[in-house]
Amino acid sequence: MKKILAVLLVLCIAAGILSGCGGGANTPAASGKKKIFVFGDTTFNAENEEPDINPHNAYSGWPCIRYGVGETLMKIADDGTLKPWLAKSVTNVNETTWEIVIKDAVRFSNGKKCDAAAVKACLEHLVKVHERAAGNLKIASMKADGQKLTIVTSEPNPILMNYLSEGYGCIIDMETGIPKNGCVVGTGPFVATEVVTDNHVKLVKNTNYWDGNVKIDEVTVRTISNGDTLAMALQSGEINGAYGMAYASYPLFENNKFKFSSIQTSRCFWGMMNFHKENPGYRIMSDPAVRKAIAMGINKKGFVDVLLKGYGYTAAGAFPDSFAFGKGINTVSYDPGQAKKILQEAGWVDTDGDGIREKDGTRLAIRWLTYPSRQELPLLAESAQATLKDIGIEVQINNTKNHNSIRKDPQAWDVWVSANVNAGLGDPQNFFDTYCLDSSIKNSGGHHSDNLEKLAVQLRGAFDPGERAKIAVKMQQELLDDNSYFFCSFLRMSMIMQANVTGLTAHTCDFYELTADLDIK
Amino acid sequence: MNRPVTVRVQKVKKNRIRTRLFFFLFLAVILVLVSFFADQIVPYDPYAQDLGLSRQPPSPAHFMGTDQYGRDVFSRVVVGAKASVFSTLVLVCVTSVFGTVTGTLCGYFGREIDSVVMRISDVCLAFPGLVFALAIAALLGGGMSNAVIALAVISWPKYARVARGQTLALKNSDFVAAAKLAGDNSAQMILRHILPNILGPILVTAMLDIGTMMMELAGLSFLGLGAQPPVAEWGNMMSGGRSMLQTYPWLVLSPGVAIFLTVVTFNLLGDTVRDYMDPKNSGS
Repeated sequence: MKKILAVLLVLCIAAGILSGCGGGANTPAASGKKKIFVFGDTTFNAENEEPDINPHNAYSGWPCIRYGVGETLMKIADDGTLKPWLAKSVTNVNETTWEIVIKDAVRFSNGKKCDAAAVKACLEHLVKVHERAAGNLKIASMKADGQKLTIVTSEPNPILMNYLSEGYGCIIDMETGIPKNGCVVGTGPFVATEVVTDNHVKLVKNTNYWDGNVKIDEVTVRTISNGDTLAMALQSGEINGAYGMAYASYPLFENNKFKFSSIQTSRCFWGMMNFHKENPGYRIMSDPAVRKAIAMGINKKGFVDVLLKGYGYTAAGAFPDSFAFGKGINTVSYDPGQAKKILQEAGWVDTDGDGIREKDGTRLAIRWLTYPSRQELPLLAESAQATLKDIGIEVQINNTKNHNSIRKDPQAWDVWVSANVNAGLGDPQNFFDTYCLDSSIKNSGGHHSDNLEKLAVQLRGAFDPGERAKIAVKMQQELLDDNSYFFCSFLRMSMIMQANVTGLTAHTCDFYELTADLDIK
Repeated sequence: MNRPVTVRVQKVKKNRIRTRLFFFLFLAVILVLVSFFADQIVPYDPYAQDLGLSRQPPSPAHFMGTDQYGRDVFSRVVVGAKASVFSTLVLVCVTSVFGTVTGTLCGYFGREIDSVVMRISDVCLAFPGLVFALAIAALLGGGMSNAVIALAVISWPKYARVARGQTLALKNSDFVAAAKLAGDNSAQMILRHILPNILGPILVTAMLDIGTMMMELAGLSFLGLGAQPPVAEWGNMMSGGRSMLQTYPWLVLSPGVAIFLTVVTFNLLGDTVRDYMDPKNSGS
């Protein structure tokens, strides 16, 4: 009897394993005539301020534009220049006046024509509710006349169109508004039918799409924040494509069953220091010698070559040197010996022999705040923990999904390390506006520099790209000279997909993932 | 006619159990010694990163390969034993002593103290153990000591229940009544007559608990609520390497095998201790 039970048990387990291994291959053959595409994404979650696809909410414009629900007036090409998208033409009449002509063919997914009045209504709502848009766009007034929209800004805004190409610039139908289920109506190739935060978005083909035939009938974007789950889902055929795969898993897909779409991006792994006086670590972080030692104690090359497996390149400043505003930056290099000397001269000495330095009773320990959905950030943290320990700095890592709320507590961290697309809009201003200035909503470390503020004013008023680049270089140098920020590397971003998937292409700005070109052969 | 055969069989059985006991005790002592002298016997600094040696497969130079930071996995597994084995032994010692003392006092004195403590233990037992430990560990924050505290909070009622049950059974026995008549006070009664007679079941429970506790501690570390990077701890090491299970399997298998062998050793030791102390196996 026991033997029979054992055999039955083994059979049940085997059946369970086999059924688990059976992939949900969503190929056209497997699902009848409909073409169904399932996409796995590590970053579509509240942790990244992307709780839904409403472009007027936090960073939810990113999934809106990435998943082909919304489109912007201009599109950012891979060389960082702007190309018309919903807009037919844009004219900068004078420093504060812009005339935008919307393409006649553009329709929302509900069939309604997208004219200047619709765009105006959308932008009015955007600047009213969005935390960054009003400050970025500086719109004083708008006038709609047929397909022509005239925008007047309250002050010169050379990069108005760049900002309107950000995710939050997706044009949505405000007559439909922001439905309770979060399924906004855009102009893109896909229509959202279901949004569940931290779980999935369901999309269907936009039959009214204005810019060609959409080849995929249904799309599900699944939030898979765990890299292992993502890798196994792609291997088993549960998903057809993946974004945010850990580099360590790449060898699994380097075969003829899968293919990669890769591109160098301006997504930068970088850190900011906390200068708030109420921070318990203020005494440490306000010491220029400590900041310099931290900057010199991070092995950027090792991080890129080994932990990113070469899928990136070391950073000097905030932007890649492929941009004019990323060239000619001077920064310290990895030099543990020099870092030790600097700390020693500043009075930080290991008095108790535990390998960590002290000064006037203060132990040289820093709290390193980061988050896991960018799979390489914890690796950077642990790498820095070891190299900084070598020079006598203890690093206490807080790797948490909750980093965005902790970041706002000036007493809870000393260094916040993040991964952001710093030049995604093809211009440097957004980075400074967001992270480095007194008015920046994400200057969580309370950094202030009079000189930087003056340069920011100059940058905001400069229309000439060459002049803007020069100012941006000076601004980066300002950040680097006092080591209040450090920049480790830029990412070579890849999307991995099954070999029969076409039209899933990586872009430098990290937008435009699911487009009308997407297909499964 | 049957009696001499039964005694002989029992003696043979007892001898086998004793041999097994010594064998597993020997293995357990080796594990504890390895943990104790871990820092002295490791071939490399388990925390020294060398990115140039990242993800090297097992070789004569690196018996269990290297991890993604180029750290020697064998050295980390050996040093990880210190965190895993010692933390488990401390945890089992603390919970068994606390639970036994509490259970004995409840069983001996009864009344309100018994009701209150047993209801508290009921509350602790009402939650799924690991889930309750997860909640406590999350509340306390990461770290090995917090993980030990979290597991201690959920583990003591088991010992309290065993000790209380045994004490209640012994309390009304003749030899206890005789001791009372001889003038022993409560402390003497507990220390001289109750505790020595309930230690057997407690010891067996504790021995059987070591493996479970080790798994739970490793589980908490695996989930990020126990040992924090860069501390070498087996659960933590498995968590760090799990994304590379298919590409660099030694990163997960090495600490995994260490956990498996250690847990099996302590579980078999616990089973053998139980068999050894079972009166049915007595040859006398």
